[in-house]
Amino acid sequence: MADEISRRLGYASRSVIELLYDAGTLVAAGARRSRELPEPFVWDGRTREWRAPASAYRRAVLWMREAGIPHADRAAAFQRLSLESRVALEPRPYQREAIAAWRKAGLRGIVVLPTGAGKTAVAVGAIERTGRSTLVVVPTLALLKQWYSVLADAFGASVRVGLLGGGYHEVTPLTVTTYDSAYIHAERYGNRFALVVYDEVHHLPAEKYAVIPQMLLAPYALGLTATPERPDGRHALLPELAGPVVYRRSPGELAGRYLAPYELVRIPIELTARERLEYAQADAVYRDFLRKHRLQIRSPEDWQRFILVASTSHSGGREALLAARKRREIQNSAVRKVATLENLLKKHWNDRCIVFTKSVEEVYALSRRFLLPGITYETPARERKEILDRFREGRYRAIIASDVLNEGVDVPEAGVGIILAGSASRREYVQRLGRLLRPREGKRAVLYELVSRETGEEFASRRRGEGF
Amino acid sequence: MLRSEHVMAAVRRGRLVPHRLSPRDPRALEAAGELCALYAAHLGADRASLVGRLEALEEELGPRIDPRRGFRVVRALARLLEERAEWAPPTAADPYAVRTRIFELAAELPGLPAPEPDILGGPTREEVLARVAAETGVEDPAAVMYADRQAAQRLASFEEVRPEQLLERYNTAQVQGVLYAAREMVVDLGPGADARTVFRYVKNLGLIYRLEPLGEGYRILLDGPLSLFGPTRKYGVRLARFLPGLLLTSPWRLSAAVECRGREARLELDSETCGLKSHHAGARGEGDREEVRRAFARAWERCADTGGWQLEEGPTILPLPELRTALVPDFTLRNPAAGQTAHLEILGFWSERNLVERVEVLREANRRGHRLLVAASERLGASPEALSGAVRGGIIPFKDRLPARAVLEGLSR
Repeated sequence: MADEISRRLGYASRSVIELLYDAGTLVAAGARRSRELPEPFVWDGRTREWRAPASAYRRAVLWMREAGIPHADRAAAFQRLSLESRVALEPRPYQREAIAAWRKAGLRGIVVLPTGAGKTAVAVGAIERTGRSTLVVVPTLALLKQWYSVLADAFGASVRVGLLGGGYHEVTPLTVTTYDSAYIHAERYGNRFALVVYDEVHHLPAEKYAVIPQMLLAPYALGLTATPERPDGRHALLPELAGPVVYRRSPGELAGRYLAPYELVRIPIELTARERLEYAQADAVYRDFLRKHRLQIRSPEDWQRFILVASTSHSGGREALLAARKRREIQNSAVRKVATLENLLKKHWNDRCIVFTKSVEEVYALSRRFLLPGITYETPARERKEILDRFREGRYRAIIASDVLNEGVDVPEAGVGIILAGSASRREYVQRLGRLLRPREGKRAVLYELVSRETGEEFASRRRGEGF
Repeated sequence: MLRSEHVMAAVRRGRLVPHRLSPRDPRALEAAGELCALYAAHLGADRASLVGRLEALEEELGPRIDPRRGFRVVRALARLLEERAEWAPPTAADPYAVRTRIFELAAELPGLPAPEPDILGGPTREEVLARVAAETGVEDPAAVMYADRQAAQRLASFEEVRPEQLLERYNTAQVQGVLYAAREMVVDLGPGADARTVFRYVKNLGLIYRLEPLGEGYRILLDGPLSLFGPTRKYGVRLARFLPGLLLTSPWRLSAAVECRGREARLELDSETCGLKSHHAGARGEGDREEVRRAFARAWERCADTGGWQLEEGPTILPLPELRTALVPDFTLRNPAAGQTAHLEILGFWSERNLVERVEVLREANRRGHRLLVAASERLGASPEALSGAVRGGIIPFKDRLPARAVLEGLSR
């Protein structure tokens, strides 16, 4: 900072234009007239200098080069990296095509591939080819950790992988961050990266996150997603934010050859007599309250309204809340469900098995009970990588995971998946299946879904299956 | 500071009215008191049980404060208490090592370790745990294996607070919360306000300001670098963090453009009526500086002949936009007869780093044609040569007191 200030003061009479990075913006010091600068630059009367969003960097440099305007680039602080992936992965043909299309489009654009088709491999290829400092932006802390382990596997020998967000604050030439952290910190580090990779790029046009690309100098960008379209129509902004769609394949085009077939086994779990009685009692209290207040539960918003009404209602609200909680507990912890799980784990002790559950507390309870490693959003990045590595190597036989593996990138191939108490969301369902759809020689994946009978869960399970 | 979900405000005719609790409201005081007591009594106990107790209190105390939003108020109060709490791990053992060893041993078995022993006599969970206990010396490995989770942490310390103070903090925090969605802020500083403190916050928070002189005092418009290209909420959190700095001084008026449920609303406050208190401490070491300043003002008053120069105390602000700050000299000296103005800056006991920045500011003010006199304490430790290189007109050295005569000599140079 002090450096920058003295430089600005010292260059009172400069003959060349100096490009400086200033908190998410690009300052052209020493420019006298607007015609020395391309369009996004405007005069900032507050600080008396020419300023543009940092994203104007690529255009500005190309423009000044072409127009023969002498300039010094003191903005960019990214570096060349000699990156060579240690993981000898023969890219699948469509992955190679995707990288080629992206290069041809000027190292800027979006690749659309279905879940499970190896979007990460495309990113690793792009990072390797570009060979410059790279920032990877991901939507969740779980993905932050997953990308960390993918990049550490691929490039760990030549560069230390940095993490920004979720309690980590280590910025290196190859750093993974979340959209939320990028929103906050991009203005500090936005000049250090030549390439930015947006995972699940359909998040980027959200009003808040759309500021992120503005703050980054990065002349190169790669967006990845299975579904660029947004219900709010803001995907129209994507070309400006990350570039146009340069490559696209639908699940239909890849099915069979690259996405392994699987077998779905739904196991209905009967409640025990005692559970059934308790459930019926709690259910009656709960439904009574709903009826009295004319509430219907069809969406998460409805559920929040129920909580609100119940927590402020003078008569019966507290009882209704307790009953709702009890109902859920019975669903989630049905004795037979745990016994069935034990059975499946025994049966598949020699297959790789991933147990999925909605509840974090359940992960820890099952981990304690069966002495199997658990992974939740709380698991530190390095331990998570260690667990998944050992699972991949066969040193661990099974793992128990909460929702964190849902949008996964580095989930090892598993022979068996077991879903406990899933929620009624079709997208989530598909993505969970996607984890198991990774091809493995001669392997047919089995997915069990344990669904409680006589509870709302059966309905949820049926709904999830729709259209699949 | 609160999370967005704790923030509550009403909009009346385009004006934002942040939620507030009266420090005289017995129900609010009762709730604050119970929460403070809960934390204070929880020392040494674990986080999970505190979370459970808080949930129960939410349902119990919330409706009494406000039937609709009471539980959010309770949550917000708890959040502010959480800032005063420190948590520590519950055990000296390394839970990571313990659980990793458990998983390794379990995975080596030929079958799933049975949670309960059965007639087949296969490997059991108890056997694995017993072996890990023997290896690591941890008595109950199953209990320790996830002891590093947040929920298992123990409350190690809690900085106690009176219920009235907590309500004050709540009221300020709600105003700050409203500012999270602010796009820009206009602050009118009245005469006598401590502009130095204000600009210290502006600079430290990386805000950009524009300065307009008012009839009395100054108007400061605050936003950030990207605001130039269209309104953005990006700097809202910083404007929120600016507020406690502003609350350290008076008088002022504030007006902020805030995005509220998709529409623009205004938050307006002034130091007279806002009734808010800062929870920040003023700058440290100010005591010494104040003393030197007061002593100098007294010496000036006693001085028989000032050659037509008049001493003005109170903020003259010399804007230095390129440095993102402003120079607020200690005194301004005017000579109406000669039509001259000079500024006096007293360098007290600065750290080396602060001094470097200060000299930068002085040099830039000089470059802009302001006449600056710099009085430097001999205890400062910096060589006069280094300083005078930065400041035209030289340095006025002083020991403990700055005599008026020395300054007059400087003015006549």
